[in-house]
Amino acid sequence: MTADAVTLAVALPLLAGFLSPALGRSSRTAAQWLGWAALAASAAVLWSVWVRLDGGTAAVAVGGFRPPLGIAFYLDGMALLFALAVPVVTLLFWPRAGTPQQFALTLVLAAAATGLALSGDIFNLYVFYELTAVASFGLVAAHEARRAQAAALRYLLLSAAGSVLLLAGIAVVYLRTGTLNLAHLATLAPERLQDPVGLAAFALMLLGLGVKAELFPVNGWVPEVYSSVSGRLAGLLAGLVSKLAVLVVVRALVLVFPRPEAAELMLVLGTLGIVVGELAAWRARDLRRQFAFSSIGQLGIVFVAFSVPGPAGIVAGLAVALHHLLTKPALFLLAERWGGAIEGLRGAGRGQWLASTLFILFALSLVGVPPLPGFWAKLLTVMSLMEQGTGPARAGAVVVMAATVVEAAYLFRTLGVLLARESGAESPQPHRGPDLATASLAGLILVGSVFALRPLGDGLKALAAQAVDVDGYVRTVLGGPGMAVSHPASQAPGGAGGGARVAHVPPEIAS
Amino acid sequence: MSLPPLEIVLYAGAVSLLIIGLAGLVMSEHLVRLVLALGVAEAGGNLLLVLTGFRQGAVAPILLGAAPSGPMVDPIPQALVLTAIVIGVGVQALALALVLRVRRAYGTVHMSALRARLVEDLDEAAGLPPEGSREAPGVERPV
Repeated sequence: MTADAVTLAVALPLLAGFLSPALGRSSRTAAQWLGWAALAASAAVLWSVWVRLDGGTAAVAVGGFRPPLGIAFYLDGMALLFALAVPVVTLLFWPRAGTPQQFALTLVLAAAATGLALSGDIFNLYVFYELTAVASFGLVAAHEARRAQAAALRYLLLSAAGSVLLLAGIAVVYLRTGTLNLAHLATLAPERLQDPVGLAAFALMLLGLGVKAELFPVNGWVPEVYSSVSGRLAGLLAGLVSKLAVLVVVRALVLVFPRPEAAELMLVLGTLGIVVGELAAWRARDLRRQFAFSSIGQLGIVFVAFSVPGPAGIVAGLAVALHHLLTKPALFLLAERWGGAIEGLRGAGRGQWLASTLFILFALSLVGVPPLPGFWAKLLTVMSLMEQGTGPARAGAVVVMAATVVEAAYLFRTLGVLLARESGAESPQPHRGPDLATASLAGLILVGSVFALRPLGDGLKALAAQAVDVDGYVRTVLGGPGMAVSHPASQAPGGAGGGARVAHVPPEIAS
Repeated sequence: MSLPPLEIVLYAGAVSLLIIGLAGLVMSEHLVRLVLALGVAEAGGNLLLVLTGFRQGAVAPILLGAAPSGPMVDPIPQALVLTAIVIGVGVQALALALVLRVRRAYGTVHMSALRARLVEDLDEAAGLPPEGSREAPGVERPV
């Protein structure tokens, strides 16, 4: 299987998404199986491409147009890791009780999210971002309760305003450079975007993408949406979609805006996000909103970590993001099980040893208690910030540590209520058994990663080295002398296109 | 970078539309006005995008046989803006549909009232006591 096959990873869920409502008219089960098959095929394609690349990188020119003009997909470890997470997490958080229409929207969401991870063209990123947004509006509004409709409308207005900002940022970038290809931009940026106008373009794009990434000033939708929808959808949006928006921001920061001011802007907004999110989570009186605000705080830590230039920041950011991707969706599933006001949960955890154990595990890891992965993720963040040594970076490190104290305060308080000896007025009965299986799986991976810290750390370092290698990105996409291997099977019949180009960077770059 | 006066006027117009639209999104109260403000902001964004390919006195880049002798405008932003317009129309239609549903469910088209009702609904769904205890924490503080 050649690297061009990755287009299938986006195309198959999209195709299945459009077939799903039609098929669902005759059989809901068939639509469900179609969706599962498309996601499984997408995961299989991405996995086989990843194995085949074996630590190298590749670029795919969709439709055979040569990279600076056509739409390019860029494949490296970071892109493939997040792209692979999309079908896997979507399968785990599939809306089992949904209608064929919800299946269709979930599949479109998965296709667009995969595209966000792979695309190497900023306008294409905008289109995938909008597709993700519209699919998630539909999924939120598909819930029966009227609060979901109101939350969806408020989410839509904020998100659409963000999209306008993103589009304006793209227009400024195009005005200055005349290109949309990220690799081409990376070559032109040093001379054309190193001024206040370039910084303004980054700020516009950061705010636009920040809506989905729960960035500080544009995250008002988070608590409303996450507490109006099912735990599965909240897990999908908080775990997956937010991380892909962050990934796009990181790509833009590394390739197009490698300026200290841009990183500092991200650091400041991330720090404010931590402060606001954690304090609001501390005040929250119900489980869902507590997790929603804590999600804002965690995404703030991700932004703060990624603001550190060089591979150290990328390693820390990836660690925090992947840790959050694992724990928060599982916590939303547990919240769905117990639900409601924290005070009403008095003693609810007693007698449900599996759910309680999982909750304790995730809470401890989120706070960052030493042997668990959450500790290492936070340690990496704080260390990389301290090594950077500038004033704002040190302040960020202090805020991350202070946020840990606040997180411990509210999570342990909730834990204390759950495991209290005396029982509440009415002890809520657990509903939805199967969700515990997904949460247990996340718990097993979390515990398993404690024993694989060294290989995981080495893997993250390899991904980060590849992600910050701007020259490698440019060489792979645009093709440098002697580096690009044009693929024999892809000679377009017209001869003008040149087909897909696949270039391999020698593996020593990844070590 | 010095621009000819015409282009300065055009860029200023596009940016003003963007700012007017965003200000409307922040300041409006009526839901339909919010959607209209969104439309204005999108128009500004689209105009800014299509302006990036504009050149004064240039012709449309349509190749029929021989290429035109004069300068041509950049066709890429025009293709892009078409996509952006279609996305914008779809999102606005969805927004209006949601406004209708919200109006039916809550009986209001005012953002602040809607927000208050939404928070009430969320509290109710979570089984929290309604208002009045905003200042007291939900559970005892740990000692």
